[in-house]
Amino acid sequence: MTAPLLELRSVSASYGPIRALKDVTLRVGRGEIVALIGANGAGKTSALMTISQIVRASAGDVLFDGRSILGMPPDRVTAAGICHVPEGRRIFARLTVEENLRMGAFLVRDAAVVAARMEAAFAVFPRLRERRMQTGGTLSGGEQQMLAIARALMLEPKLLLLDEPSLGLAPLIVRQIFDVVADLRRRGVTVLLVEQNARMALRLADRAYVLETGEIRREGPGAELLDDPAIREAYLGG
Amino acid sequence: MIQTLWDGFVQGALYAVVALGYTMVYGILMLINFAHGEVMMLGAYAGVVTLAGLAGSGAMASLGLPLCLCGAVLASMGVAACYGFVVERVAYRPLRGAGSLSPLISAIGVSIVLQNFVMLTQGNAPIYVPGADKAWQDALTGGWTAGPLSVQPTDALIVAVCVLLMAGLWLFVQKTRIGTAMRATSQDRVMARLVGIDVDRVISATFVIGSALAAVAGVLTSLLTMQAKFDMGFLLGMKAFVAAVLGGIGNIPGAMLGGLLLGLVEAAGIYGLRADYKDVYAFGLLLVVLIARPRGLLGERVAEKV
Ligand SMILES: Nc1ncnc2c1ncn2[C@@H]1O[C@H](COP(=O)(O)OP(=O)(O)OP(=O)(O)O)[C@@H](O)[C@H]1O
Ligand SMILES: [Mg+2]
Repeated sequence: MTAPLLELRSVSASYGPIRALKDVTLRVGRGEIVALIGANGAGKTSALMTISQIVRASAGDVLFDGRSILGMPPDRVTAAGICHVPEGRRIFARLTVEENLRMGAFLVRDAAVVAARMEAAFAVFPRLRERRMQTGGTLSGGEQQMLAIARALMLEPKLLLLDEPSLGLAPLIVRQIFDVVADLRRRGVTVLLVEQNARMALRLADRAYVLETGEIRREGPGAELLDDPAIREAYLGG
Repeated sequence: MIQTLWDGFVQGALYAVVALGYTMVYGILMLINFAHGEVMMLGAYAGVVTLAGLAGSGAMASLGLPLCLCGAVLASMGVAACYGFVVERVAYRPLRGAGSLSPLISAIGVSIVLQNFVMLTQGNAPIYVPGADKAWQDALTGGWTAGPLSVQPTDALIVAVCVLLMAGLWLFVQKTRIGTAMRATSQDRVMARLVGIDVDRVISATFVIGSALAAVAGVLTSLLTMQAKFDMGFLLGMKAFVAAVLGGIGNIPGAMLGGLLLGLVEAAGIYGLRADYKDVYAFGLLLVVLIARPRGLLGERVAEKV
């Protein structure tokens, strides 16, 4: 058995007195799409932030590729192969679409490689090509989400962390985004997907974890959780 | 009148170059680097000391003034860049994340330390640019006259250098990878780290560049007055800070515009009203602009999160 690409071992984290994660253990295998679902405030964003080392875990360990990345500076984590599309997209509002993509490839020194990846990004999201000279802040929500994902892919990460990519988007755009994620699986990119849209996430994911007030309550194959009455009741609207 | 405006333009260009340092640091750290004026003063000292050394050893006569000036400017940029780097490491980095008041107090502390350091080591009397040297005398006899306007070689040099520096910085920030990373960092520091930017290095680079620019302005200011004094950084630094706020602090073109405008308004005031109220015009202008546009001339609203 090979080691999982990402492993959280009994991770706890808190913001001052507020405990956001308690004893969270989860694994993401190579090439898997793993969903992390849970209600508002369950700690999903905090979990991704402790992986990126933006939030420091107070206990436990985070392993990537078999090695602990706990306490590593976030930019080194990115260099190691984890790209994070954070909640709220966080597009650089006063940089153009093209500059945002260039920043996604900040760690790539070879201009030809950057140019090729930018072409690839425009092939996936033609809308971004039309708007390449527009500043990020002037894009629509859907376009910003596309840009956020495209920006993260500029580094060709081994692991992609996606925090609520469907938030506030029209169903058509949500479909498109999910199609792109499904496509990543074919390209061998491993994905940890945080979603409020539990139904779509569970359909897409190989496996899923359910987070409740900072603790993992359930885990299993996406299809199994999708059929579970308790999960249907709590997260899928009956 | 035209002569006065030209003089104001020369002074304004110097304010603008110093203001860039305030605005770049503020844009990234939300910190007003009160020690910036002192770094400019240190740069001026390094430049003048180098020039005096070159003149005293006779090197100025053999190398010629332009080469010596370049040497002095490079020396002063080097010294100031080192100071900027060290000041950030020692006085600001340990306080990052400690609220906004502590770094501000630290900045004031650094500025007092730098001023006293120079006063104790160099004395509290001004040191002079070796203007009696023959190379200087030859260079200063030049100048151009066009109608009511006469342009001194020093003034022309100041304007040329300042314009080049501003254009260079603009290109750097807009076109290069590191420059773009600086802009990204100033917009969202967490996201900058998430794309792999080493934010600490960007911050160091910002201090180094800002300090080197201030040093050039310091040397040029010394050429204007033919001297450097330990307390020259205070008022000049203050004026440059006013210029940065005028233009919209954090905004690079704003600092350039604010500096030039400040120089011109001071000059106009001197010409039309009274010369000894020069500083009153500067701060008066600041008041008026801030009442009309609280974020400065080119300051935008901070982009709201979508
Ligand atoms: N910066 C912060 N400071 C203090 N408390 C925080 C901070 N960020 C999150 N929290 C708290 O930690 C808990 C988990 O928050 P988190 O953002 O991880 O939840 P989430 O599952 O992502 O929620 P949502 O679905 O609403 O995005 C919440 O109680 C939240 O209030
Ligand atoms: Mg969240």
